[in-house]
Amino acid sequence: MTLDIQIAGRTCRIILPPELLSSFQPGASTQPGGPLPCIIDGETTQVDVQLLQPGVLSLLIGGRAYRCILDEGPTGRAVLLEGKRLAYALENPRSLRARRSAGADENGPVPIKSPMPGRVARVLAAPGDVVEALQGILVIEAMKMQNEMKAPKAGTVVRIHVAEGDTVTAGQVLAIVE
Amino acid sequence: MPKLAQSAGHPIRKVLIANRGEIAVRIIRACREKGIATVAVYSDVDRAALHVLHADEAHRLGPAPASESYLRGDLIIEIAKRTSADAIHPGYGFLSENAEFAEACAAAKIIFIGPPAAAMRMLGSKTMARQVAGDVGMPRVPGSVKGLASLQQAYAVARDIGYPVMLKAAAGGGGKGIRAIASETELSSAYAGASSEAERAFGSGELYLEKLIQQPRHIEMQIMADHHGHCLYLGERECSVQRRHQKVIEESPSPVVGEDLRRRMGEAAVKLAVAAGYTNAGTVEFLVDAAQNFYFLEMNTRLQVEHPVTEMVTGLDLVHLQLLVAQGWPLPIAQQDVHLRGHAIECRIYAEDPANNFFPSPGLITQLIQPAGPGIREDCAVYSGWRVPLDYDPMLSKLIAFAPTREVAIDRMLRALDEYVIGGIATNVSLFREILTDAEFRAARIDTSFLDRLLAKPKPQESESAAAGVASIAALAAAIFEATSAPQPTAQPVSTPSGAWKSAARNEALRA
Repeated sequence: MTLDIQIAGRTCRIILPPELLSSFQPGASTQPGGPLPCIIDGETTQVDVQLLQPGVLSLLIGGRAYRCILDEGPTGRAVLLEGKRLAYALENPRSLRARRSAGADENGPVPIKSPMPGRVARVLAAPGDVVEALQGILVIEAMKMQNEMKAPKAGTVVRIHVAEGDTVTAGQVLAIVE
Repeated sequence: MPKLAQSAGHPIRKVLIANRGEIAVRIIRACREKGIATVAVYSDVDRAALHVLHADEAHRLGPAPASESYLRGDLIIEIAKRTSADAIHPGYGFLSENAEFAEACAAAKIIFIGPPAAAMRMLGSKTMARQVAGDVGMPRVPGSVKGLASLQQAYAVARDIGYPVMLKAAAGGGGKGIRAIASETELSSAYAGASSEAERAFGSGELYLEKLIQQPRHIEMQIMADHHGHCLYLGERECSVQRRHQKVIEESPSPVVGEDLRRRMGEAAVKLAVAAGYTNAGTVEFLVDAAQNFYFLEMNTRLQVEHPVTEMVTGLDLVHLQLLVAQGWPLPIAQQDVHLRGHAIECRIYAEDPANNFFPSPGLITQLIQPAGPGIREDCAVYSGWRVPLDYDPMLSKLIAFAPTREVAIDRMLRALDEYVIGGIATNVSLFREILTDAEFRAARIDTSFLDRLLAKPKPQESESAAAGVASIAALAAAIFEATSAPQPTAQPVSTPSGAWKSAARNEALRA
């Protein structure tokens, strides 16, 4: 199986051997018993794989041990490895399209998204308001900390999607400035 | 072992813990060790919190906001009466320094595990505490003894003590209502800003002025006093590593405090406590300048977040001692029995993202691998599957490393941080690696602006090939996770159009 993984600013092509995949199928009684050839960016590497529990992998590569942990957060998936958090995405047609459309319309409406889960503490602007770049539009509060969400550019507030007291998720569109 | 005092008061058989998070769990553990039953209280979002799971009994307070739950002293006392709790432990934060609550406990014949309300009032207000400190001859930072009456008075005091000065809220705490002022031109706007901030945060806009001590260390002294006139100092904690006036790392002993300075600071702290009629655990905070002059800063009339480092180096359990003192027993040891052994460091693990402006990051914890091994203690409030609520402070746990020397304690902490995995939410674990490997920190050249300087430094870039190597391994792991993850029927209803779309797109990508 071939998977293209976007990670650390590049795309890494991984080809996994069928033995590895079949041993993880439902009903398989044992995990792979030794090193299996995996291809990382065209280079074949012998990897001993153990899935310790869902989301926790032990890899042995040339005797070197790696513990990899799947981190599924509100903003996407990442692998925790050697004290680092490496966000990744599986490249597929859908995400390609999403990437192409992103950034295409800098002159059009720009959404203001919440950087964290929280609660709307204050709304500082109303639809129709003409705002300066970096002018405060609303205030999001979480864990006793308040953060002012600022206009990404000068323009007009087209919509405010939330009201004071609303609970919001990370990445949720709060308002649109055009 | 202590002899039974004739005046030993009321045995405590059941304690209500008026708090949440790691401190509630820590107090419950101490009670259990002492054979004391425990009552937890919780808000609606904390029904499945760890402190509720640890306690013998648990009772609902109300909705999530602290003002409707953990700050409802009336409800808490009602629950204490209903469950026949003899005592209430307030932990830190919430009602812990609220003198009215301590009085209400006394009126309801419930032991408040902390100082008497009168001592709390006297030492809890920064301006009143400064006066008492002056009365017992404790060195103070030069400045206004009473609260400032007006901006004009602020100008006069500042001119008198000389710039730079610090403007502070009399009822302050948590870094609110504090301004550093370099020259006279900044005073007027800083006065207005600090006053309105203090008014909003504490309900009192009263301010006072102090001379700004250049590059000070923040060092505090733990004390413990019983009802029989004995008061001990239990060594200092170095708390200079701060961000926005909030402590980030604490250690004991301080690398710059020798035996003589410790004795002088300790005796000064004891004198202050005795003069105020203080009992139970307390902390006297000092600023220490480069010439090792110490100045009284304020007193915290409660058990503190960072108490474990003192426990590690003294071998004493402060909550056990609190319970003993609250029951009217005399302290079981004398000052000459207090010895500091080894070195302890504490990291405050927060749900906040150092890579993204320290934004808070509440949410579901999907993975938790906790460090262990020699010299490691973790006071933790979370578990895998727990959703960290957005209503309270972001502390997840405190990680404490203990070793014979400071150097080994730092290395041990780094080892434990490597073992620590918290998945699902962002944490500040990476910040500690940065601090603990910094040459200035390792050489103990720290003051209260150390962390701001460190954060402003450009980050050392790791070699490109090493980074690429780690990324390749992570990509391999990601591929295995993606290829082997079983369909999750409960996670998302696949029948919804978007869910079906997603799985179709995913299957298509996997087939390639």
